[in-house]
Amino acid sequence: MSGLDSALKPRLKRRSTFEYVSWVVCILVGVGVLSSVATNPNFKWDVVAKYFTHESILRGLMLTIFLTVASMALGTLLGLGLAIMRASTIKPIAALAGVYITIFRGTPVLVQLIFWFNISALYPNLSIGIPFTDIGTAIDTNALMGPITAALIGLTLNEAAYMAEIIRGGFSSVGKGQIEAADSLGMSGAMKMRKVIIPQAMPSIIPATGNQVIGMFKGTSLVSVLGVAELLQSAQLIYARTYETIPLLIVASLWYLVMTMLLSYPQSKLEQKYSHTSARVPRKARKVTLTAPEGIAR
Amino acid sequence: MNADGTIHAQKIRKSFGPKTVLKNVDLHIASGEICCIIGPSGSGKSTLLRCINGLETIDSGILKVNGEDFGYYETDTAYHALPPKKLAQQRTRVGMVFQSFNLFPNMTARDNVMAGPVLVKHADKKQSAKHAQELLTSVGLEAFGDRYPAELSGGQQQRVAIARSLAMNPEIILFDEPTSALDPEKVGEVLNVMQDLAKKGMTMVVVTHEMGFAREVADTLIFMDDGNVVERGDAREILTNPKEPRTQTFLKQVL
Repeated sequence: MSGLDSALKPRLKRRSTFEYVSWVVCILVGVGVLSSVATNPNFKWDVVAKYFTHESILRGLMLTIFLTVASMALGTLLGLGLAIMRASTIKPIAALAGVYITIFRGTPVLVQLIFWFNISALYPNLSIGIPFTDIGTAIDTNALMGPITAALIGLTLNEAAYMAEIIRGGFSSVGKGQIEAADSLGMSGAMKMRKVIIPQAMPSIIPATGNQVIGMFKGTSLVSVLGVAELLQSAQLIYARTYETIPLLIVASLWYLVMTMLLSYPQSKLEQKYSHTSARVPRKARKVTLTAPEGIAR
Repeated sequence: MNADGTIHAQKIRKSFGPKTVLKNVDLHIASGEICCIIGPSGSGKSTLLRCINGLETIDSGILKVNGEDFGYYETDTAYHALPPKKLAQQRTRVGMVFQSFNLFPNMTARDNVMAGPVLVKHADKKQSAKHAQELLTSVGLEAFGDRYPAELSGGQQQRVAIARSLAMNPEIILFDEPTSALDPEKVGEVLNVMQDLAKKGMTMVVVTHEMGFAREVADTLIFMDDGNVVERGDAREILTNPKEPRTQTFLKQVL
């Protein structure tokens, strides 16, 4: 063994044959897909470029963003309420929330959306008033339940069920000792919730909620069946006219992709922000000590 | 007669399902008394302590804390549970220090100490902060107010927890094995704080395995086994000269 001083020689990682093979396969597949995408004229990249920032596409994108933000915000609030109800010691309140969650998680959101859009078949008139009197007004349900309203209600109510379960999971991650400590200080139920339970539940709620936002953003494409001109429906309206189906689906897909990638950035920031509250010093129980502590004779 | 700082329990019974944890327990603690409760694990000593501030409810018997029926009010036929507000009010007069500290990890040490006065008693924030600082100083942690619990050692956390209980100005403080979760070298600092506290005339009930502390600081000692109070009396007397065979066996094992 000549050459370098043995003690100074670098130590190389072992590479398996499988690693070399996977590189070759990966590069071959990549080149194949890229060349096909680039050379197949049916992709019509010029059409994609033309419509990417088309006015009605952008308007659809705005509506998609609006639906995501609004139904997530309302759904989270409602979900928080449901989670608090679910944790209640009063049986009928907990059961009510349980039934709600079962129904709204157990049926497809697409069915729920169509259901809300057609609610007027069930209740043709909505009235507000004092029961058993003539005081109050009635409104035609069809006039009230436009496609966007139906979409918003459907998405919100469905999301609330999922958020309720996420928040409930967060609540149960807070230790029993924390609740006892708050109790022993004489905190009221609402105070305990606000100052002790919710802040500590956040680290487990935030990442899951981030996934829900991303899921909701893509899930809004379902409301296209109600004729709401969100991102997908806007693309569909154009290709129904021009027959450029694939390029317009690519336009919509690219926007979904860009937005979900943008959304994962604040999600990771929020996770970092809440991480310090979850850091807990490990506690170990110890048996009887037999060493005399300082300052106290045995 | 002023009954502040007293605990009076008579024929307390408590079961968890089929298991009876407290069987006709009597307990009388005078104002300013330092009482240590010892006994093997599962003897019911922690449960007894937890009943005194309502973390557990008793099945039957009489429990008067600070001279009032605790958690219930009595009528001709029954005891009725107090509304949550009343119970919370009674609890503010009984501090609790836990084995696992249970500091709020989302608050700094100072905010933990201020939590009771500010959130429950709606005390002035500035004044509470000043009082919190004094309490942290008294437990030797004047420089640690801005630290989060995760940044403190076990002994420091437990001292903050004691300061948090003191901030409510309770007449009684309960300690549930306050040093059992600590590393051996941190036990002394917590016991020293408790010893200082004992000199200030507060009623203290301490469930502990620290026989040295019991001997040095406690006025009275209670030995519990299998849900019963087996022996009670002067702390030093019992530790040096136990009368009951069960006490003798237990002390032989731990000393």
